Amino acid sequence: MDRVKAYLRFLGTSFAVNVQAVVEYRANFLVQTFGMMLNNAAFAFFWAVLIGKVGNVGGYGFADVMLIWALVSSSFGLSHAAFGNVRSIGQIVQRGELDLYLLQPKDVLLNVLASRTVVSAWGDFAYGFLVLALLPGLSPGRFALFAVLIVIGAAIFTATFAAAESLCFFLGDATGISSAVTEFMLSFSLYPESIFGRGMRWVFYTILPSAYIAYVPLAAMKALDWGLIPPLLGIACLYAAASYGFFRLGLRRYESGNQMGARI
Amino acid sequence: MSGSERRAFRGLRMKARKYAVAASVSFRERTAYGGSFLGTALAYALFVFVFSRIWGTVYAGRADIDGYTRAQMIWYFIVAELPGMALSGVFWSLSQDMKSGQVAYLLSRPYSFVLYSYALGAGKALANGPILLAIGCALGFLTAGPPPLSSAGQGAGLVLGLLLAGSIYYLLNLAIAMTAFWVEENAAFFWIFQKLALVAGTLVPIELLPGAARRAAWLTPFPAMSYAPAKLLAAWPGTGGALGLLGYQAAWALLAALACQAIYALGRSRLRVNGG
Repeated sequence: MDRVKAYLRFLGTSFAVNVQAVVEYRANFLVQTFGMMLNNAAFAFFWAVLIGKVGNVGGYGFADVMLIWALVSSSFGLSHAAFGNVRSIGQIVQRGELDLYLLQPKDVLLNVLASRTVVSAWGDFAYGFLVLALLPGLSPGRFALFAVLIVIGAAIFTATFAAAESLCFFLGDATGISSAVTEFMLSFSLYPESIFGRGMRWVFYTILPSAYIAYVPLAAMKALDWGLIPPLLGIACLYAAASYGFFRLGLRRYESGNQMGARI
Repeated sequence: MSGSERRAFRGLRMKARKYAVAASVSFRERTAYGGSFLGTALAYALFVFVFSRIWGTVYAGRADIDGYTRAQMIWYFIVAELPGMALSGVFWSLSQDMKSGQVAYLLSRPYSFVLYSYALGAGKALANGPILLAIGCALGFLTAGPPPLSSAGQGAGLVLGLLLAGSIYYLLNLAIAMTAFWVEENAAFFWIFQKLALVAGTLVPIELLPGAARRAAWLTPFPAMSYAPAKLLAAWPGTGGALGLLGYQAAWALLAALACQAIYALGRSRLRVNGG
């Protein structure tokens, strides 16, 4: 228990230091945050136009699509704001920069993940809450459910991206696969499940788990169903454990780059 | 041809050769390091796939939307996405060159910075474009059947439309990147540009936009970068309509080139280089 507390303290401190570093450059932070929110809003316009013309897309109305965007955007944002190195693991390994983390007394994967934040991710994170506030039916219960669902979504995003990045231990340069996983995860999560057909459904519930980030949380939000939280939490823990195990397996193959460096 | 005319012609040819060599170097660089393009190609294929599914769902039980059939809409998207994808990443590399001072090494050389930069972009687009087009055509065939291409004239119009669209896209990227002469954090300008380009003619044809948005879109260069070439393939507007679209694109290409030249002339004096 003490160990868990120590790690929570460590993650909290890492997060606080990252936030301090980000707000030091306020103009840059605000530009990137609002730029990313605007970026996401462009797709809201597309969906408004399309659904305005045709009524619904595969049974999804405008509010449904926006709710999916809110869930995915905030989950993705939280994942990259808290664990900013999640899509840089391959690069860190290839450059031999893992040596710095191996010498420190904290868990290597957690230490790597938490040692950076992505500035534009704050815009993604905020965008989801903004959309939620603008959608009809906002209540404290709905807000709380949304907050829990995005934490689960962020854990699944982090676990999937970290596993894809860990392929670099086995393949060398795995940036192509890793960026493909990112594109596929986002594309499958941000569009209605029904457009992809039944044949592809198994993908969303296994190797590219968009279902637990977008489709199942959407059903939970629409029905205000807290009963879906325990199974989703269990699934997030499974993905996190599998991803962690895969990273540790890869780490055995890591060869030091003998790089001199320091983290302050 | 008189002697002075011959000399002027030779001078012009020599100038053109410089930029052709720059374009050729950029082209060969892209083909030699093709692996780095894999992500873009994959993303393009994924977007085409996703949108083909969206249109497949939307058109269930419908023959057309604002005059576009399902097949036309898929082919529209394949072409509309092409210029931006073929030149993906150019803003970031141009902007980085401005911020890092790398651009200073180009200023003293005997060529126009804007034309040289354009030549590099052209080389990149000519290497990437045909590969993406082949991917788009393969997916288009699988999801929508053969392209709605009915004559050689339409094919020529499409190629010219794509070249002009790519030129406008590149020049506007360069213009935005050069704002780094004044504002170091210029990424937000690019994001705004990129998203306006998406909604004003890339994701859906202009005809589908609400009246006010449609009229506003026509006052911007965005339809010239995506709508024009896509329309030339998906819903051929006849020879007169095609010439009108190509003229609209040519006008925006000229305006974008003049804007680049003006921004460069103003911004160059602000460049400070330390060390060497």
